[in-house]
Amino acid sequence: MTIKRIADSGLMIMVIYILIFAMYGAVQPSALSAYSIQGLFNNSLPLMLAAAGATFVILQGGFDLSVAGTISLVNAIVAVLQFDGALGAIGMLAIALAAGILVGAINGFVVAYLKVQAIAATLATMIICQGVALLILRAPGGYVSDFMTYELTGSMFGIPVAIIIATLVALLWFVFRRTNAGRNLLAVGQDAKAAELSGINVARTQFFSFIWAGALYALAAYFLAALTSTGSPSAGEPFLLLTFAAVALGGTAFGGGRGSVTASLLGAATLVLMQKLLFSVGVSSFYTGMIQGMIMVLAVLFSGAVQFVVDRRNII
Amino acid sequence: MNQPYSTADKQDTRQAQRFSSTSIAVLAIYSLVVLMIFGSRLVSPSLGGLSQLMTVLYLSSFLVICAFGQGLVIMVRGLDLSVASMITLGGVLSTTFMQGTNEGLYFIIPGILLISALVGMISGFGITRLSIPPFIMTMAMGLIVYSVCLGFTEGTPRGFPAPILNAFMQSKVFGVALPILLMLILIVIFTTLQSYSAFGRKLNAVGNNPDAANIAGITVKRMTISAYAISAACSALAGVLLAAYANGATLRMGDDYLLPSIAAVVVGGSSILGGRGNFLGTVGGALLLTTLSSMLSALGVGQGWKTVLEGGVILVALLMLREQVFASLQSMFKRSS
Repeated sequence: MTIKRIADSGLMIMVIYILIFAMYGAVQPSALSAYSIQGLFNNSLPLMLAAAGATFVILQGGFDLSVAGTISLVNAIVAVLQFDGALGAIGMLAIALAAGILVGAINGFVVAYLKVQAIAATLATMIICQGVALLILRAPGGYVSDFMTYELTGSMFGIPVAIIIATLVALLWFVFRRTNAGRNLLAVGQDAKAAELSGINVARTQFFSFIWAGALYALAAYFLAALTSTGSPSAGEPFLLLTFAAVALGGTAFGGGRGSVTASLLGAATLVLMQKLLFSVGVSSFYTGMIQGMIMVLAVLFSGAVQFVVDRRNII
Repeated sequence: MNQPYSTADKQDTRQAQRFSSTSIAVLAIYSLVVLMIFGSRLVSPSLGGLSQLMTVLYLSSFLVICAFGQGLVIMVRGLDLSVASMITLGGVLSTTFMQGTNEGLYFIIPGILLISALVGMISGFGITRLSIPPFIMTMAMGLIVYSVCLGFTEGTPRGFPAPILNAFMQSKVFGVALPILLMLILIVIFTTLQSYSAFGRKLNAVGNNPDAANIAGITVKRMTISAYAISAACSALAGVLLAAYANGATLRMGDDYLLPSIAAVVVGGSSILGGRGNFLGTVGGALLLTTLSSMLSALGVGQGWKTVLEGGVILVALLMLREQVFASLQSMFKRSS
């Protein structure tokens, strides 16, 4: 039972993260300064949020390719609107979230109520969002207020804002998992038919998983704009594959029913850290992709091996 | 509501249902393609002619070839995200090996296909034997293959395809470009392979229900691995042809084919959950996407609107191809007859 809880809690990926971080620190001691750590977390945050969003959909057994389109779209919106100051940043956040939730609602409606396969439907919405992003912002550029650029990538009460946001999302998951909606999400992922029979509204659960995903993608795009202090209509493209790699690294089962948003957050952070480590070790950038690919496969195998041990324990 | 359930007036329509729903889907897609090509004449007189049809067929041949492999993989409940990298691999290998001469072409092309099939087999092995999720495995394989291509070419692929391949891409027989003829031949072979051969039927069974297929004595893992191997080889073949078409390889030559290959399969009426696939539908999907894209480019529509419309067409096609739509269509037919 204890091993199972460890496997489900994302402790595994946390250990991997700390190990890689120790290696990174050993290779590059300057990386341990408060400034570098803050920079590292700022760089990781967008992918962490995107992976957290995708996890909501994957946990219920679905699949969401629209992550790339939604991030591009919201990033373009944030870059086009010109609101200054703290109030402007909050207003922008509201607009960003609204846009993300709208895309999520469309995905959710098409998948949960119109019963179109999730991969296919979200592929279509992804392409549409990319197009709308291009209509809003024709070329990379735009305007991101100084407040967003400096305050959102800085520290609050001595703690980097990025860590605060990531912790809030982890807390959100901690609470959500214990609500009825959270239990329904996992139940639908494990067996949609059984969930339906036991009175869970499967369509509504699926619908809301896409809403959560859309909102978190929007948050990712919002912080990406703050980080890069510019916008791009193709900002989301690199996120498409990395997001799923992060979720897999976190040990969330594709097909649904098992996993955690917190583990995906850590999986994404690990992925970014790994890139930094490979870069600082001086691996020729030609072969970074090769090592990344291999580590991804190894991480999934590792998580599978842990699950195997857990399952055997349970049987005995 | 509480009437006793009677099976007296129900007939076993499973086979018939599947037949008609697939053929309706395929017919719908082809009529849409024809409508679009000839309808575009209304928008601009330079469009909608035979030459545009030929251009569309020519350009879709690359997509049709990758989409066949993608379709097989989707049929066995997987997804191949390494398509783009495999196209690049095919292109890079062909220009490197051929070095602009015709020498040894008869073993270079089979060699490239074999190498890429081997890469696909490794993906399939990871997926079936090590139970790595398909798209993680194929994505990782794509990353690895891409970075090997990048490292091997040091950023700029050198060499040229064989002149005879260049000539092949440019020649015409009776006004029909040779690549179109090649595509037609491949369509016949692929359709036979997917829908009428023992291999295709077994793959279909694996996609429908792997457990049942296993009990029925089908080597499920081997069939799944072969689907990935074929997909990799198809993408590499598309890469060889693309390199011959563009007279050289680039590292990003495959990028424009990954998502369209998936889109062509799903628009063509295959179920992404496996077990339902029809190659003629996929061909229709590829033609539809290529027609739309070339038409919008010809009309000078901006990139933004073009992308929105392409996504919109995929979404509309998906909504039209839903099971419920077929069910209601069928009941309409039944009522009228």
